[in-house]
Amino acid sequence: MSYLVRRLEFFAITLWAALTINFILPRVMPGNPGQAMLVRFHGRVSPQAIKTIEAAFGVRSDQSLVQQYFQYLGNTLRGDLGVSLTFFPNTVGDVIKQGLLWTIGLVGMATIIAFLLGTLLGMLSAWWRGGIFDALLPPVFIVISSFPYFLLALLALLLFSITLDWFPLGFAYDLNSSINLSWSFVGEVAWHGFLPALTIVITSIGGWILTMRNTMITTLAEDYVKMARAKGLSPLRIMLTYAGRNAILPNLTGFAMSLGFVISGAILVEIVFNYPGVGFMLLQAVNSEDFALMQALFLLITVAVLVAVLAADILTAWLDPRTRDTA
Amino acid sequence: MRHRYPVISLLAALTLLLGACGGSSGNSGTKRTTGGVLTISNESGSLWQCDFNPYNGSVNGQSFGILYEPLVYDNLLNDRKTPWLASAYEWSADSKTLTFTIRPGVQWTDGQAFSAADVVFSFDLIKQHQELDLQSVWTVLDTVKQEGSDKVVMVFKQAAVPNFYQIAGQTAIVPQHIWSAFKDPVTEHVKAPIGTGPFTMSECTPQNITYTRNPNYWQKGLPYLDTVKYPAFLDNDPANTYLATGQAQWGGQFIPNIDTYYVARDKANHHYWFPPIQNVNLWFNVKKAPFDNKLVRQAFAYAIDRGSVSKLGEYGYEPPGNQTGVLSPTFDSWIDKAQAAKYDYKFDPAKAAALLQQAGFTKGSSGIFQDASGKKLSFTIIDIAGYTDWIASVQVVQANLKQVGIELKAQNLESNAYFDKLFTGNFELAFGTVDASPGPSPYYELRNTLHSATTAAVGTTAGGDYGRYVNPAADTLFDQFGATTDEAKQHDLIKQVEAIMLEDVPVIPIVEGVAWYQYSTKDFAGWPTPDDPYAAPAPWNLPDWEVVLTHLYKTA
Repeated sequence: MSYLVRRLEFFAITLWAALTINFILPRVMPGNPGQAMLVRFHGRVSPQAIKTIEAAFGVRSDQSLVQQYFQYLGNTLRGDLGVSLTFFPNTVGDVIKQGLLWTIGLVGMATIIAFLLGTLLGMLSAWWRGGIFDALLPPVFIVISSFPYFLLALLALLLFSITLDWFPLGFAYDLNSSINLSWSFVGEVAWHGFLPALTIVITSIGGWILTMRNTMITTLAEDYVKMARAKGLSPLRIMLTYAGRNAILPNLTGFAMSLGFVISGAILVEIVFNYPGVGFMLLQAVNSEDFALMQALFLLITVAVLVAVLAADILTAWLDPRTRDTA
Repeated sequence: MRHRYPVISLLAALTLLLGACGGSSGNSGTKRTTGGVLTISNESGSLWQCDFNPYNGSVNGQSFGILYEPLVYDNLLNDRKTPWLASAYEWSADSKTLTFTIRPGVQWTDGQAFSAADVVFSFDLIKQHQELDLQSVWTVLDTVKQEGSDKVVMVFKQAAVPNFYQIAGQTAIVPQHIWSAFKDPVTEHVKAPIGTGPFTMSECTPQNITYTRNPNYWQKGLPYLDTVKYPAFLDNDPANTYLATGQAQWGGQFIPNIDTYYVARDKANHHYWFPPIQNVNLWFNVKKAPFDNKLVRQAFAYAIDRGSVSKLGEYGYEPPGNQTGVLSPTFDSWIDKAQAAKYDYKFDPAKAAALLQQAGFTKGSSGIFQDASGKKLSFTIIDIAGYTDWIASVQVVQANLKQVGIELKAQNLESNAYFDKLFTGNFELAFGTVDASPGPSPYYELRNTLHSATTAAVGTTAGGDYGRYVNPAADTLFDQFGATTDEAKQHDLIKQVEAIMLEDVPVIPIVEGVAWYQYSTKDFAGWPTPDDPYAAPAPWNLPDWEVVLTHLYKTA
């Protein structure tokens, strides 16, 4: 219990630090939203108009930095993230809502699949080490992982969408449909999302296979595995519940962190497959110096990673009693 | 001279005729089938916000023209005017009052009648909220009032005839009965637009907007198309792929190697046309030495191989510019070719070197010219990092200048930083266009390039004339142009401006920016072509795209 409390305290402190850095960073960058807005409207706005819009964005040049900071903390905790410059006049909340579900859906699913598949293959590679499976699979996937992502994505698009016409050219769902909860729509989303998800899985799976395989090999050398074999337990049971369960622990924290980073989006996926999401949104926000949107997205990523790390710690503590503090 | 137009324009009469014949299966001749789904491919760079506010510059590309219409349609390519929501207009003798007769029988898409009151309301709205005045019409307008039941009288502060384009051709008219209820039209997210246009917005998702034919459109029988689809493309490549595979039929895209990538896919039906609409200039900061010296600027004009820049930097898509600053072939009728031939600006390193020597520079041992104190002619030019074709063009210019003996260093900036430096005059040389949109005659671009009223002191933001060039003679010519409706006089004044461009070389037009336009004749006809330029052809030319959409029809 005290372990849990300590973890929560640590979480709260890191969250506060993240909020503060998130506030400072965009303001330290050169340029200011007023100027960025001028560019946006192509110089065709009067100075008075700029002041009005600046006020709407919460850029108060009349407030001191400290005042702005507390204003920002208050607003963030209340969920008021401001108005977006790039997507004026929509609020940041509305803009993020549009893309977030798609990112979590696509990239989240792909990451989970990559992790499960990768750890399974890694386990099998380690179990049959020295054999054909081990000699072939990990090297092949590691080589593929080292290809630049966009290259694989474009090749997949060229082969499967353009030449073979098995999958659509892009978008998250058919242009003629609207978002609804029918089975046909779910099927559409799955069909459109297959190629992007496939490319994400193929490029990220190599890392999981390798780490799992290596941890598994050292675990297999442990005494309790030898004991289990001597006891006559089935190989499947040993592989999964004795060796596998211990080997997966280091990977869990990595997995949790990568789940947290899912929110940062996969910008190349979004560009190549024209898929909605927050990755490209972040790029646009940075390019147009859209402080409100930038801050909100950075915050989201930070919070997601922190929550994920916390969850990973708790999970590890639950799975592995050795990590819990004995008070 | 006053202009008068009959109540029913020739265009409307023709469409009435065509509408009466329409409905049968398509064949050659005047019979047009109604129906068809057209898909547009125009990279917007982000998902749709589903905001159809025509006064919001970042989203009006989805509403101005197709949903909300202007008073008069003024063709960007040739300044031919077609009465639209106004059935007639008339200038006063002193060109300071403009009276519009509002077309009767027009309906808003919610069934309410359109009237002159809506016009007055729209202009008053943008007067009250300056952020909505995208065309800065209230810098020249004094009052806009209704007269009688169907006339709108606009009084100008001073004669500004060319502003007709911004006022009548570029201002959207919105319904008073809807917009007067908006709390703040600047931040209003217009989700259900009510307009007078040929289409209504039937569905909007972040990925795609679907427009459906307006059955009560005031041009009877139009449009022919049933549905228009406008997908949101985040980047050029998906948009180009859609065009190449035929899933989109109308494009406004920059496509590298267009002949191999696009035309080859369907040689019979895939076509493109790139009419020039805006110059891409080399800007001198004339407040910085040695660019205050006319001889140096002239030397630069002989030191750049514009044909080479066009071919190597712009794939040959953007024709080389000419020093008069008037677009060719779009505005050929305005160019005084004899005058331009006297200077004969082309790539001539010997002549450039001679001019530099005349200006007092000598070629140093490094091959670069230097002044008496030994300071080399070495300059920085600012450029936008994301525009790969501009970067390539600047590299060609660099090589050209090096041959002559001038050193050029390119600074490829992120767009906000670039515009900041450009607008505030914080540069030595700059590569780029005038930021204000071009107009239907050379006057607009030239005025924004040369008139001292558009510029500002170095350090403050300027709306035009980024090089801070001040020439009272040029100012007078533009002001005189603005006060006259006499076409012959207008042409003469522009020729005098060309003389200034040729002699003073305040900027060097290097290539001519074009309207990117691709179209497929596989299922649709009625496209604008060089032989029939009835509208500026790109889907992002507002409101010209509306005119294209009312012309297109499904073949067989």
